[in-house]
Amino acid sequence: MSNLNLNEDQQDCLQEIINVAMGQASDQLARYLDTFVYLKVPSIEQVSTLSLIETLGSNENSAAVVSQGFFGYEGIRGEALLVYKPKDSHRIADLLGYEPDELSVEEQIIDLSSILTTTFLNVFAKQIDNQMSYSAPRLLAGSQSSVSDHLAQQSFNWDLALKVKITYQVTDYSFNCDMILFIPESAINNIKMVIDRILEEF
Amino acid sequence: MSPDSICTDITNKLNTGILIIDNQYNIVFWNRYLEIHANKKNGNIVGQSVFQIFPELPEKWFKRKVESVFQLNTQSFCSWEQRHHLFELQHTRPITTNSHFMAQNCTFLPLPKDGNEYACILIEDVTDVCHYQSMLNKTLEDLAQANRIDGLTQIFNRKHWEECLEKEFSRARRYQHGLALIMFDLDHFKLLNDTYGHLGGDLVLIETAKVISSLLRLGDLFGRYGGEEFAIILPNTDKIGALDVAERIRIAISQNVIEFQNSDVKVTASVGVAVINENDNRYEDLISNADLALYDAKDSGRNIVCVAKELVEV
Repeated sequence: MSNLNLNEDQQDCLQEIINVAMGQASDQLARYLDTFVYLKVPSIEQVSTLSLIETLGSNENSAAVVSQGFFGYEGIRGEALLVYKPKDSHRIADLLGYEPDELSVEEQIIDLSSILTTTFLNVFAKQIDNQMSYSAPRLLAGSQSSVSDHLAQQSFNWDLALKVKITYQVTDYSFNCDMILFIPESAINNIKMVIDRILEEF
Repeated sequence: MSPDSICTDITNKLNTGILIIDNQYNIVFWNRYLEIHANKKNGNIVGQSVFQIFPELPEKWFKRKVESVFQLNTQSFCSWEQRHHLFELQHTRPITTNSHFMAQNCTFLPLPKDGNEYACILIEDVTDVCHYQSMLNKTLEDLAQANRIDGLTQIFNRKHWEECLEKEFSRARRYQHGLALIMFDLDHFKLLNDTYGHLGGDLVLIETAKVISSLLRLGDLFGRYGGEEFAIILPNTDKIGALDVAERIRIAISQNVIEFQNSDVKVTASVGVAVINENDNRYEDLISNADLALYDAKDSGRNIVCVAKELVEV
């Protein structure tokens, strides 16, 4: 189990790649959305199935969770979860440059999720000489059902995952949400190999 | 065989629509699948505006969507769950589904080529998925409904009724609203069962539930509490209002003649009424107050309405 943990160098390296990607993503998003987008320094940690349920499930007041799978070369793959709070979601159409009656709240949330996820992961992938593809984003829980309802129905076939949490803030629209990237156990070694290669090249 | 000709071959045999547009929204390419399913009269559509060929597209939304693909150089998605379809296309199950147009999952891909910006839109037919998902949703809704209803009387079952009361109780507490509870029990029901058999007893329960349902307002919540005991939640109702409803219920039941196997069955009910008061901490307190009033009604000779005694501050 513990051998899955990133060592200090690997952790620093990943942190650095993410920081650079965050900077570029924030720049691209600001230009597209025409407003400042702040990405807060992420936390990187290893989590177990149990703590996932605790982290997401306890958050009863999250308005929506959107999942989008990503996959690239060298076995880099995972799932991105975008977690929204109800009070944050009412000006998304405005932020995206749509008229509110052009699309439903669900579609706004899904659209924004996809933009945030793919923009970040595209620049992240470029940092590690990779290229990402994505599955269509899906709304896991909306106003109708809570996240914990969804999670309670799962029997997970993994024990550990690498979790990277990034908070997005758009102050002009008093909006913020969390993007949580999960790299499943089976892909952690792959990302470690990529990190080791980058460390060697230094 | 060159890889290019293989790709062209596959593109034209793929069961996915492919549409490529430039940054002026003019069509650059469409594959055979899209051509066939769009079924447009005008032969050569290349070079024409996508909005001219597909006037059904929501232009403003579509432009902003494509803009995100160009500007962020990333793919974008559109699912049937949010938009049933973007393009009005024929689909392959016109007979066995009731979908007029093909339900679609669309993927927008950036396609930079020779210094120009293009967007590729992949269109997948998910009419099938959409059809079965809708059926599943309907079934889940029916199941949820069945879970709330008492099979015999078709009113709320005890579990759901108590959940309603719990909600109404906390709402009344929070907003300082009134809340009244009526509980009633059919008199000498065991005797009735012994006389007419269980089928006769069941019919009395069904008919009684029907009569009472017709007396209630839209917001009132009527449930079968157990055996021959029924309960009604009256939101925003004070004692006078609740007593009025209770009396009408008592009279309606006593006047209701139920025909069973050529005999006229008559039944009466004892009714207990309670209204929310400061001493009620939990919704169960309200139930036990109404229940005590119901026992008073039974003790006072039945076919009568009794109201819960108010605690007098000493």
